[in-house]
Amino acid sequence: MGKTVLIVDDSNTMRKIVSRALRQAGIDFDTILEAGDGQEALAVLGANKVDVVLSDINMPNMTGLEFLKAKSEDDAIKDIPVVMISTETGADIIDEAKSYGAKGAIKKPFTPELINETLGALL
Amino acid sequence: MGYAQHIVEATQEIFSSMIMLDAAPGKPYQRECELLVNSISGIIGLAGSTKGLLAIHLPAQTALTVTTAFLGMDVEEIDEDVRDAVGELANMLGGSLKSVLDPSGSDIQLSLPSVIHGEGYSVDCLANAETVTVPFSVGSHNFMVELQMRQEK
Repeated sequence: MGKTVLIVDDSNTMRKIVSRALRQAGIDFDTILEAGDGQEALAVLGANKVDVVLSDINMPNMTGLEFLKAKSEDDAIKDIPVVMISTETGADIIDEAKSYGAKGAIKKPFTPELINETLGALL
Repeated sequence: MGYAQHIVEATQEIFSSMIMLDAAPGKPYQRECELLVNSISGIIGLAGSTKGLLAIHLPAQTALTVTTAFLGMDVEEIDEDVRDAVGELANMLGGSLKSVLDPSGSDIQLSLPSVIHGEGYSVDCLANAETVTVPFSVGSHNFMVELQMRQEK
């Protein structure tokens, strides 16, 4: 059965760029789902089987850190791996993300090779 | 390393890794906050221990060229895709600068990007701020990256 990734970013442009980078990285997802903020992401995770989440941090409505915290409190989805993909990769922020279960962080700007390296270990 | 050099390195990294264009820097200068004509600007606010803004100002034709390369599809007018792409450029520039000014990530807060587009507009200069603007060229097109910042006591 093919794998599914959820891309969470308030920028439509960045969601397209991440999708393209996944293809360029040679990571074969059958389904690419998208969400524009943390609230949408929680709804998508509740309605779909998702193998991995790539999430921005700075987003309106519900930030990436708030999304991680809410996800960690929901037994049905808490074990789905999340990698942060953001301009915000300061040590304090990444430590907080990891305390809520984030499995890694990719800094924007990124290359397909970096995405492959980070996601390869999770899939 | 001065702020201008950080701007050069961050801008070149973003353009080379994600847009596949070579952004050649010119000589940094202090912009007089003059009117920007037929342009689009992406602006990120800085708050916390350092206040100010980081902005990328692109003439409309430059913005179309950059967005076409960024998205890998033809863009012929300043539409939502262009506004979103310019906002994301500002966002990445702000993040790169923050990683230099605030390695822990907790002293400076970045706003979500704002985007302005019009036939003529100005971006005000912050009082008592240190400012630097770096001009860049991409092929025959030009754009500017501007930093205005003030340390809070």
